[in-house]
Amino acid sequence: MIAYLVTIAILVCVAALVGLALNLQWGQAGLVNFGVVGFVAIGAYAAALLTPQVGWLPAMIAAGALSAALSAGLALLSIRLEENYLAIVTLGFGEVVRLVILNEGWLTNGALGIPDIPRPFASLGESIGGDAVFIVFALGLLAIVFLALEGMARSPFGRALRAIRDDATVTSALGKNVFLLRVKAFAVGGAVMGVAGALHAYYLTYIDPSQFTPIVTAYAFMAVIAGGRGSNVGLLVGAGSIMALLEGTRFLKDVIPVIDGVQLSALRLGLIGAGIVLLLILRPQGLVPEPKRRAADVLPKAGGGR
Amino acid sequence: MSAPAPIAALSATDLRAGYGRGDDIVRGISLDQAPETILAVIGPNGSGKSSLVKTLAGLLDIRAGRVAVTGRDVTRETPAKRVAAGLAYVPQEANVFPNLTIGENLKLATEFLRGRAGVGPEQRERVLGLFPEIGARLKTRAGDLSGGQRQMLAFASALLANPEALLLDEPSAGLSPKIVGQTMEAIVRVRETGVTVLLVEQNVAAALDVADEAVVLVAGQVSLRASASDMKAADLGALFFAKVA
Amino acid sequence: MAAQLFFNGLVTGLLIALPALALTIVFGVLKFANFAVGSMLTLGAYAAWVANVQLGLPLFGAAAIAALTVAGAGLLADQLAFERLRARGSITLLVASMGVSLVIENVCRFFFGNASRGFDVALSRPIRWEGIRINQEQITIAITVAVCLVLVDALLRFTPLGRAMRAVADNASLAAVRGVERRTIARLTWVLVGALLGLAGVLAGLDRAIDPLIGWNYQIPIFAAAILGGLGSPLGAVAGALVIGVAEEMSALVIPTNYRQVVSFSVILALLLFRANGLFGAKAARK
Ligand SMILES: Nc1ncnc2c1ncn2[C@@H]1O[C@H](COP(=O)(O)OP(=O)(O)OP(=O)(O)O)[C@@H](O)[C@H]1O
Ligand SMILES: [Mg+2]
Repeated sequence: MIAYLVTIAILVCVAALVGLALNLQWGQAGLVNFGVVGFVAIGAYAAALLTPQVGWLPAMIAAGALSAALSAGLALLSIRLEENYLAIVTLGFGEVVRLVILNEGWLTNGALGIPDIPRPFASLGESIGGDAVFIVFALGLLAIVFLALEGMARSPFGRALRAIRDDATVTSALGKNVFLLRVKAFAVGGAVMGVAGALHAYYLTYIDPSQFTPIVTAYAFMAVIAGGRGSNVGLLVGAGSIMALLEGTRFLKDVIPVIDGVQLSALRLGLIGAGIVLLLILRPQGLVPEPKRRAADVLPKAGGGR
Repeated sequence: MSAPAPIAALSATDLRAGYGRGDDIVRGISLDQAPETILAVIGPNGSGKSSLVKTLAGLLDIRAGRVAVTGRDVTRETPAKRVAAGLAYVPQEANVFPNLTIGENLKLATEFLRGRAGVGPEQRERVLGLFPEIGARLKTRAGDLSGGQRQMLAFASALLANPEALLLDEPSAGLSPKIVGQTMEAIVRVRETGVTVLLVEQNVAAALDVADEAVVLVAGQVSLRASASDMKAADLGALFFAKVA
Repeated sequence: MAAQLFFNGLVTGLLIALPALALTIVFGVLKFANFAVGSMLTLGAYAAWVANVQLGLPLFGAAAIAALTVAGAGLLADQLAFERLRARGSITLLVASMGVSLVIENVCRFFFGNASRGFDVALSRPIRWEGIRINQEQITIAITVAVCLVLVDALLRFTPLGRAMRAVADNASLAAVRGVERRTIARLTWVLVGALLGLAGVLAGLDRAIDPLIGWNYQIPIFAAAILGGLGSPLGAVAGALVIGVAEEMSALVIPTNYRQVVSFSVILALLLFRANGLFGAKAARK
């Protein structure tokens, strides 16, 4: 049971990282990204391929950097697009990443995936117990990213992003470089998704393309909507409650014995979809609404605080 | 003067409305307009004139108060039902369908109003008689018309509904003085056919020339109501800007 | 070889034309990109499969059932989700449509599993013409789509409903004050779009195996086609679909077939970069 809870906790950490990243891009900057899974997958594969060569820390940094670079590249090309178009471009990007992973077997081992990915602090894990060490690692990583993103949300950068989301025309009239700010938001979000992918790879120690389906993207959206767009604290609550919901459905199998594995997974995914719609309708502000910040916060006035 | 007041063609009572979750823009407006009159609504930019007519037409959610057309309460009706009840509206901008032809614009103006009395071929003849240049170019895309022609098409489309009351939002905007004159003449002719006209105008002089009465709107409230001739004598500049601050 | 690929591309294009038309109509009238197009197509394929294989109806009857089923699903999605979120803008609607997409896809998965299915139709020998192999399914697809396109075109151009839909697409509030009930038009739009997607599902099921991802596989080509034609333009969507279909099939001459799907994505990206308005206009850049 403890082992099971630890597993859930680690999965919540991964989901929360992905959610935090999307919360920056969509929640705060108003940029739709339907290709979340692509960036997570890139991070996971980068970590899996590089860790044996260079060790986990450089590999994780590389995973974040590669994801950030591709994210920035995609943003440079497409961030000017209106949201409906940005949505399809990012969705397409995610599909392209999937195709590349599937077809470039020399690098990614194709559908077979990459086994035996070394975990950080593996030797320490052997003496204390692998998952115990790993959960500390995962929570530590989540804490660092959370604090960094929360700091960013309170910085002039974060304020400018929200201002752009609420009214791009006015913000650009105030002298902000809307284009550059959006590209930055996308890049930072991409970096965090890459790191989340690395954490995912380290935890499972085995990755293959079937782990990276558009469902990952849907989870992230649901976490952001559940938590309240723009609120990082809310996001953690959101990611936690989604995992609770999803893991809860595992037990449905015991309650309704006729359901088989495919049906169970269909039920879970269907619930995610219904959850997205329901939460959008019932809780437009999410569980923890974004703190209200006034327009005046955007202006580079003396003090500049909230 | 103890004759019973005729049923108002158009009446608004303590009307309040606004956009989204924003503050009230229409802030408690009451108006009663006698049948077959022209009421000019004037006021500074942003005073809520367009918002008032949008509210009357049903495009802005009514937060409080009531709207009636010839005595019939339409407060809870959709915009479409209000047209069927006899309330037609010509918006300030974007008042024709640019990707539809003139003919299609005119057809669309009546084909969803089945059941409204007086909508039909005769009305169409009559209205197109008022605007001959529209009727001559049925195959032209409305988006290709000049500003004045577009205004005429919008006007004609509204009249095809055989309305009791017609809401006009700045019909003279962007038109040359000569066309403004023609437009105002057209409004007078329309009134003569028995239509009550609520006329929002920036062009105060032109509006007061044709109106019977006028109201001044400042910051979403009626600040003065008087006959058109009295209004001409009033110091509108002082009125417009007195209460804004 | 090239001629065969070109021909196959035209048929693929025709297949994509119906969902692309559906996507563009929803975008024009209801003002959001409906990411549930793919899953609605999937639903159509399964509805027809149930009618054809389990109830033993001929394909023609099964197609009618598919059209009705998806039309019903569209109405339901509109009533339960899209209408309630209408005031919240297109981003919210498109995210919601992603949610609807997950629900529909997984309803199919729940009841029918991940196994591949196929219609109960007699196998027939392909016809050869000028060295091109033409099979029966391709002829069915081409004829069905051609008939649908003519009907939809006539509907949009000559009927009161079509005028009203175009008017709402142009200016929804003006349409309302001309007596057009927005709710009614939205509902009828979903019926039309649902019927198109249902039929598209049947045709897709003729072309390949039916599984829960059958529609998802078309998602990016559908969007590519509609964007190529300028989102909101019905004629453009059809032209765009033909271009995408041919480009995808012909790409086999130059790139590995595994990467076929990349073609659509590249077309979208290139188009949005160099001609931000599609072939027929519509604004893609934000303010
Ligand atoms: N779509 C809208 N959303 C939010 N606020 C609006 C909207 N349209 C108008 N307003 C606000 O409502 C107020 C009144 O605007 P309205 O257009 O009714 O004024 P008006 O008297 O018609 O002005 P004008 O003479 O310039 O046409 C303004 O403060 C404006 O900012
Ligand atoms: Mg106005």
